[in-house]
Amino acid sequence: MSAQLPANLSAETVREISDARDEPEWLLEARLAALEALDELELPDVIQTPGRRWTNLEALDFETLVDPLNQSDETSREAPEDVVVLPFTEALDEYSDLIEEHFGSVVDLETNYLTALSAALFTTGTFVYVPEEVNAEDVKIRAEMNSRSLFSHTLVVTEKSSSVTILEAIESGDKSDEERYFSNLVEIAAGENSYVQYGSLQNLDEETYTYSLKRGDADTYATINWIEGNLGSRLTRSDVETELNGEASETKIVGAFFGHDDQHIDVNARVWHQAENTTADLVTRGVLDDAARSVYEGVQDVGRDAWSTNSYQRENTLMLSDESEADASPKLIINNHDTEASHAATVGQVDKEDLFYMVSRSIPEQQARNMLVEGFFVPVLEEIEVDEFRDDLEELIAARLH
Amino acid sequence: MSSDQDHLKETDTEARFEFKKEQKAAFAAEKGLNEETIRVISEDKDEPEWMLERRLRALKQFQKMPMPTDWPGQPDLSEVDVDEIVPYIRPDVEVRGGVDDWRDLPDDIKDTFDKLGIPEAEKNALSGVGAQYESEVVYQNMQERWEEKGVVFMNMDQAVQEHEDIVKEYFMTKCVPPSDNKFAALHGAIWSGGSFVYVPEDTTVDMPVQAYFRMNSEGMGQFEHTLIVAEKGSEVHYIEGCSAPKYSAFNLHSGGVEVFVGEDAHVQYSTVQNWSKNTYNLNTKRAIVEKGGRMEWISGSMGSKATMLYPASILKGRGASDNHITIAFAGEGQNIDTGAKVYHNAPETKSTIESKSISKDGGRTNYRGLVHIANGAKNSSTSVECDALMFDNESTSDTMPYMEINESTVDVAHEATVGKIGDEDVFYLQSRGLDDDDAKQMIVSGFIEPITEELPIEYAVELNRLVELEMEGSLG
Repeated sequence: MSAQLPANLSAETVREISDARDEPEWLLEARLAALEALDELELPDVIQTPGRRWTNLEALDFETLVDPLNQSDETSREAPEDVVVLPFTEALDEYSDLIEEHFGSVVDLETNYLTALSAALFTTGTFVYVPEEVNAEDVKIRAEMNSRSLFSHTLVVTEKSSSVTILEAIESGDKSDEERYFSNLVEIAAGENSYVQYGSLQNLDEETYTYSLKRGDADTYATINWIEGNLGSRLTRSDVETELNGEASETKIVGAFFGHDDQHIDVNARVWHQAENTTADLVTRGVLDDAARSVYEGVQDVGRDAWSTNSYQRENTLMLSDESEADASPKLIINNHDTEASHAATVGQVDKEDLFYMVSRSIPEQQARNMLVEGFFVPVLEEIEVDEFRDDLEELIAARLH
Repeated sequence: MSSDQDHLKETDTEARFEFKKEQKAAFAAEKGLNEETIRVISEDKDEPEWMLERRLRALKQFQKMPMPTDWPGQPDLSEVDVDEIVPYIRPDVEVRGGVDDWRDLPDDIKDTFDKLGIPEAEKNALSGVGAQYESEVVYQNMQERWEEKGVVFMNMDQAVQEHEDIVKEYFMTKCVPPSDNKFAALHGAIWSGGSFVYVPEDTTVDMPVQAYFRMNSEGMGQFEHTLIVAEKGSEVHYIEGCSAPKYSAFNLHSGGVEVFVGEDAHVQYSTVQNWSKNTYNLNTKRAIVEKGGRMEWISGSMGSKATMLYPASILKGRGASDNHITIAFAGEGQNIDTGAKVYHNAPETKSTIESKSISKDGGRTNYRGLVHIANGAKNSSTSVECDALMFDNESTSDTMPYMEINESTVDVAHEATVGKIGDEDVFYLQSRGLDDDDAKQMIVSGFIEPITEELPIEYAVELNRLVELEMEGSLG
């Protein structure tokens, strides 16, 4: 096993969490199975090249970070009437069968050590259910983390021809100087011809380590669009993935990150084309200041049966300081020749000519630079459908620049 | 082309490259690899003590290191059992170190190189030629005018004797140490043959020098070592070609190439590899480039069952630059895993990588590349472009670039595309009277043109012909 199992972690702990929440037997069993799997599981894969390990998860001290029985959060949920948005535990009363059907079906809970740990210990999260032909806008979930560790599990199920736009925001509540660990698993099961935009805004304090895996399964004609914003945390490891399992299904994975000080941001976007006529567009834009470091891996995997695939990927990183570092690996895995695929990645600075032009128009240099950085994020901001999310993200970017 | 070159137009690969000669040897080592084998090889070559010691150290490295098995999508190397290969075969020729007249070679060896068109190319387009048969160089010649200017082009074994100081300083020390990877270690233990090129200051060798490597025996391994030292302000273009007949057992080729590009020097290294499809081609090639120097790697990989090759440039001095152009063609049963590695370790360094791959009939091409820009390599720039063409649905094409940027004042761009041959393009050409095969061949020739135009005309023609051979009759 790759990480030490914290001493305060046993089947007893898991039972205690499950009992306190009066969970159905099937969920307790799923948690116990995940716990048992921990022994065999490794930490998430990290890219390693000669002399350089891109993210060092082994250095995390789970023994201290994980405090399963003292999890605490404050979460508000806003939603239009015809869509079900409930705290995960509450939802079990009424939707136990539906949740049982989908829980762990999109994210394999035993993907790695951290997913299994999350499944065994989660105490918060949300269940979103959109019935057939319901169009729901602006589902807003805002969570505050108030404990040393917090494990969250969110499940979104959309029925045929429904649509929903969601914002999930997480930040730190009470001030604390201790190191913390936040873990977030999100599963989306998008039914036939349904549409989901799932926006996520992570702005935890910089003593917190964050692991998040978000994964969607798109049925025929379904669309899953992800917007992933990462500004907080000392170390972020975020994986956003879509499986295009239905014919003519589509996905966009749009990401924005802005690191400063000694933040480490490891973002990954992956798509699997498994059916005919599927389309994917991966767009990530990141800015690095001070001694911040970013790691990006993008994977476009086109399966043998994915005839007539379109798949695009772009990643752009802007470096504002000499001490910042950026690693990127955009990958194409193509097993079907009837594919149009491309990817591009760039790393650079604020364009000197652009800057010169603005200064010549009498805009002070610092302000001009800030405007160009804000402008750099526009392709991401434009994709956001929940207005509040766009405003928040813009505000956080502006705050970091000034 | 003269009429005695007609056989070069032969479109049957067996007649053209995969013909077999009787296996004859003056000396052949036992199968397998141990300290004793290495002592025997070293003794047969009458090597100085330090070289034997380096070999033995490399052997220890090799035994210690694990096989690379965990690279995503890498070729399957489970068949490569080093104990099953014959590591050293000295061909039955009278003069050790290579004759300088083709007529002095035994008929079967001379006939081999005639068929491959080497003597003809020498007359027309080359400054010098080396030809290796099995483990040893059998022919080595360079035009006198270069010799007068102090240019050295000789086989590596001879260089160990005649230029001991230079070889001792550069041989697998600073550029490719045996500890670099398992096959570099293997190479360091049992290397044999290859070329040594030395170009003095401010000397421009205006026609390329070429080395041709031929394996004839079944189940053998070829481990030639090439060392190029280009002094300040010099310029040289080195070309290597490779081929072998096809056997049922596997052959192993594990070459080592070290290039030292001096200040403002310019080295171009071109490879047209056409190993038979039972050959594992696992090479380590690397250049260290000083201030203002320029390194160009041009590789065409057509043959072999599996290739793992990532020529590397370490841009060590300010303003050093690198240019990689690679083309890979994988047909049935082939896994061609190639790419490029560039380390930008100084300010104002530049690199451009252009990779083209074609896969068909279940073949697999991978691009695997690493660009590292070190902290302090200010105002460096790199541009990577990968294009893949796939012919059918059994084939696979992967692109796996890695970029590590530790400096902000840089310009980094990576781009890749994958696609099939455009139906519209084929239709257009057909409407102009070409048949389906010719149309597709023409599109492929156009696709690889950026590579062929970098080669001297003889090699461009050769590369095009190889592609035609690969395409022949396989298009539906």
